[in-house]
Amino acid sequence: MHFPWWYVPELTSPMLIALVAILHVLVAHYAVGGGFFLAVESSFAYRTKDQEYLDYLKRHARFFILLTVVFGAITGVGIWWTIGLASPLPTALLIQTFVFGWATEWVFFVIELTAAFLFYGFWGKLPVRLHQTLGWIYAWAAWMSLVLITGITAFMLHPGRWLEDQSFWSGFFNPQFWPQVVARTGGALLLSSLYVYLHVAVTEGQGRLRDLVENRSARPALLGAILITLGGLGWFALLPESARAVMSSAAVITVLMMLIFVLTAVVFVLLYVGPYRNPGWLSPGFAGALFLFGIAAFSTGEYIREAVRKPYIVYNKVFGNQIFVEQVPELRQNGYLEGGVWTRAYVAARYPQVMNGRSIDEKKLLELPQSDQVKLGEVLFQYHCNDCHATTRGYSAVGPLLRGWSRERIQHLVEHLDEGHFFMPPWCGTPEEAEILTSYLETIALPRPAGMLPARAQLERP
Amino acid sequence: MMDPQSLVNTQYPNQLPAPFWFIEFFKVLGFALHAFPMSLWYAGILLAMGMSASGHPLARRASWRLMRQMPLMVAYGVNLGIVPLLFVQVGYAAVFYPATILMAWFWLGIIVLLIPAYYGVYLYGADQRQTDEPVSGWRMAAGVVSGIFFVVIGFLFANGFSLMTNLGAWSSLWQQQEVAGATLGLALNTSDPTLWSRWLMMFGLAITTTAAWLAIDGGLFGRGEPEAYRLWVGRFAVLLYLVGVAVFGAFGLWYSLAGWSVEVQTRMWYSGWVVLTVLTALSPIGVLALLGALVLRGKPLGPWEASAIGLAQFIVLLLNAASRQLVQNLELSAHFQPWQMPVALQVGPLGMFLAAFVLGAVVVGWMIFQTVRSLGKVAPGEP
Repeated sequence: MHFPWWYVPELTSPMLIALVAILHVLVAHYAVGGGFFLAVESSFAYRTKDQEYLDYLKRHARFFILLTVVFGAITGVGIWWTIGLASPLPTALLIQTFVFGWATEWVFFVIELTAAFLFYGFWGKLPVRLHQTLGWIYAWAAWMSLVLITGITAFMLHPGRWLEDQSFWSGFFNPQFWPQVVARTGGALLLSSLYVYLHVAVTEGQGRLRDLVENRSARPALLGAILITLGGLGWFALLPESARAVMSSAAVITVLMMLIFVLTAVVFVLLYVGPYRNPGWLSPGFAGALFLFGIAAFSTGEYIREAVRKPYIVYNKVFGNQIFVEQVPELRQNGYLEGGVWTRAYVAARYPQVMNGRSIDEKKLLELPQSDQVKLGEVLFQYHCNDCHATTRGYSAVGPLLRGWSRERIQHLVEHLDEGHFFMPPWCGTPEEAEILTSYLETIALPRPAGMLPARAQLERP
Repeated sequence: MMDPQSLVNTQYPNQLPAPFWFIEFFKVLGFALHAFPMSLWYAGILLAMGMSASGHPLARRASWRLMRQMPLMVAYGVNLGIVPLLFVQVGYAAVFYPATILMAWFWLGIIVLLIPAYYGVYLYGADQRQTDEPVSGWRMAAGVVSGIFFVVIGFLFANGFSLMTNLGAWSSLWQQQEVAGATLGLALNTSDPTLWSRWLMMFGLAITTTAAWLAIDGGLFGRGEPEAYRLWVGRFAVLLYLVGVAVFGAFGLWYSLAGWSVEVQTRMWYSGWVVLTVLTALSPIGVLALLGALVLRGKPLGPWEASAIGLAQFIVLLLNAASRQLVQNLELSAHFQPWQMPVALQVGPLGMFLAAFVLGAVVVGWMIFQTVRSLGKVAPGEP
């Protein structure tokens, strides 16, 4: 409402964030864990004077740079792009609060980039000690960027004391910070091993080198699994009560929670019985399956991490429909259309008859012809609901959700949004606006499926 | 006609985390640093393709050198672009977000185009060992597609930033593609005369930077190349720079005479700021004169001369960035004055950033210094 709303039919624009974010994290974690892999393993290969392994590591470094420096870096910018388009108010809040955290992260990006290019570009042309040092500088700079961005993203789930003091440090070292740093560090180690397995299985034939890589990468993968478990437990223990409640209240999240437990267990078991206990199992098919289970678990985890924040984008600060929590009473009194820069401008341009000076006269909304009320109800839907709901088809579409509902029931839902479902924001408009939103919802609500027994009429008969 | 002021959100953000001058400083400095490598992919890739296709062996060699460096340029250019974009969102959120949301699909398209464009650069350079040989068809195709994508990306950026100050167009662009008050994100600022002149003026500036880079590369990194090449690339750089100055001058004149409002023209031409305007306009001619004088000596450029050209070209870009910033503020001043926002200074985080900035510069400098110092002194793999 503070900014124009970007309407993406069926998908809803915030779902683009999820799409880009998942693509990014799958590479970004490898950018961190892969850095440690290259630093540790090149040190090992130098120490054992294993030229064959060093040659493989150089080939792996090329793959690593092509994937992380190009796709990883650009999709990272892509997330920033997408949140600014689909979620501008929380983005502005994050940038105002953490601009120097982001700027510091950028410094580490520059270090990472330079170290990565020097490490790979001058492979074999530098003294061993310097080459190893460059590898380690890359790894630690990449990990620092993970730490810095985790402080900012974890803030959204639980800002902690920041809500009282608005201090950068309170927000950064929020209750979710350490659990997520531990879990993400573990994720980086585990995921990088899965990338390494896939790469070596596809590019190298069976033999000593593949066995060596398999054996060497099993321990960091299992360490990663332990860190994910510990971080995950901390994450769960320190969730706000509402986020924990979402897991058991929203059926889709419950199913996804089950899925992530199963997928994670499958990955752990495959790692243990495969690379750890039975080196030599690593075929392209096995590595591919392990990788697919791994990215499925990761993607599910990222989706859950986002979804449990409902009804907030920033817990107790910004609702999913991009309204500050403290704005709600004012909006309920003066009107949602009135409170939004773009909604007010829309009404002033299209319906000057309801304007009283520069403000909207809420009472006059109900004097408009029914078709105009429906149109304004659609405006309310776009700015109040479309963050999480498509209209008649698509992501969590409202039309099918309201199938067969009476007008009274829809209006009751609108006026008591957060009572029926605590993971929805409260209604943020006036009673008149609730009525016109209801008029619109009535037009998109699908009818009750025909042929169902007992018929409604039968039930309503005494 | 909707009052543009009615579409500006001044409720939030309503304060700055650092003084306005600090935000402006990093925005301008960051843009100038970004503009150097950005110019090389913006104009340089298509020029490199042209040089490669020319059949001239020295032109092919120059093209090969430029394209071999291009992955680094793209990596650092994108990275340095984060700085001005971060600070524009700090100081100018009220106008940046609406402008980009109105053209959301195109703005997101920048990312979609950037990934294949970047991979295209790598693909072009893959296994290209014969520097004077013609490149294969598919590599040339990868390079041309990359070059075109980068030019389109430049056009989309020019759209976003011209729309950010063209508040008068917001209302009509919004109403042309709205669905119940929401935007479909399909607007482009093509009716704005400043868009085309800015885009092409920046293309001219990018040609000058590419020319300067060819000279810098010949004098600084290409010292192992034959003298014939180093002499040729210096002369070619002068000619190319001349073309760049002509394009920059023509479209810059169009931009400032037809694109600027009376208020902006008054401030930029008839106040003390005229010094900045004139310096911005004439500074490329100064670099051209310097480059020409150095080349006319009949000797290949050395590292000091190359560094001087690099510094001079950076000053050109810095002056341009400063002028752009001033014009942007003037264009916005009727509706939005970020410099009047109160400051809630984040002392500790600011200190953390500055400390990291210094530390980062030291670490990066150390890594490069140690690498350069070690080259050629050590047998491969020697401990």
